[in-house]
Amino acid sequence: MSSNSQHVVPNGDKWSVRKTGASRASAVFNTRREAIERAREIARNQQAMLFIHGKDGRIKERIVFQNDADPSKG
Amino acid sequence: MSFEKSVFINCPFDNEFKPILQAMLFCIIYLGFEPRIALERADSSEVRIEKIRGLIEAAKYSIHDLSRSRAKKKGEYYRLNIPFELGVDYGCRQYFGHGRQQKKILILQETSYRHQISLSDLSGCDVDTHSGKFEIAIRKVRNWLVNEAGAEAIGASRIEGKYIDFQDWDYLRQIAAGFSDADIQDYPTKELLESMKIWVSTVERPQNKLI
Repeated sequence: MSSNSQHVVPNGDKWSVRKTGASRASAVFNTRREAIERAREIARNQQAMLFIHGKDGRIKERIVFQNDADPSKG
Repeated sequence: MSFEKSVFINCPFDNEFKPILQAMLFCIIYLGFEPRIALERADSSEVRIEKIRGLIEAAKYSIHDLSRSRAKKKGEYYRLNIPFELGVDYGCRQYFGHGRQQKKILILQETSYRHQISLSDLSGCDVDTHSGKFEIAIRKVRNWLVNEAGAEAIGASRIEGKYIDFQDWDYLRQIAAGFSDADIQDYPTKELLESMKIWVSTVERPQNKLI
């Protein structure tokens, strides 16, 4: 099962946006909110799933972008 | 499961510690070792200390996390099982024979020097800290396995990235199997441990099956 999901993950004192399987983050932000905004944008454009992780590294929220008007929370 | 590849983990099993334990489990499996924890079997007829003794004797490597060696609030007892089991492990290495003198022990805790108050017998021993952060726990376990157990020197950041990839795969697999988000985010450790083994052996390294 392969995935093109986007993840918002802790990165030291910062937050990163990282695609599943990527060797590094595509962007790093000072705040979780900024990282979520960017990841939402990417996931929406790619009709991909967005996973938002907590400080403990585990997935806390899943958002599915089926079309522009209908993001649904998991 | 071979003695040479087994890593006994003696740590708190409370919800607050669960993310650290699960990150350590992933790191151990990813580096090709077999974690052994008391949660792996749930036979009520088995006496707990006997189960622990068996795990200690069967593992060349042990990780003991003393993060709960202090009560959190006034009147609360702190948990003595973990330092007790560290003592059993130490005794096994000293007295058991049959190759157990090769056993290697990593002692972790959340903050520096806390053990020196409640467990002063450990003065002079190296005790490492993870500050309650999963990524630091991964790094400490990775460094120890590379240096003491000859694990492949894969960077801690890559292991952390693979942990994200594993969670992605596991989450989608569970959704497909009919689990709700709430079910999945409960993260039962025993099931997650089995999923980690499956992911490493079928997705990450299908050509190189685990022990």
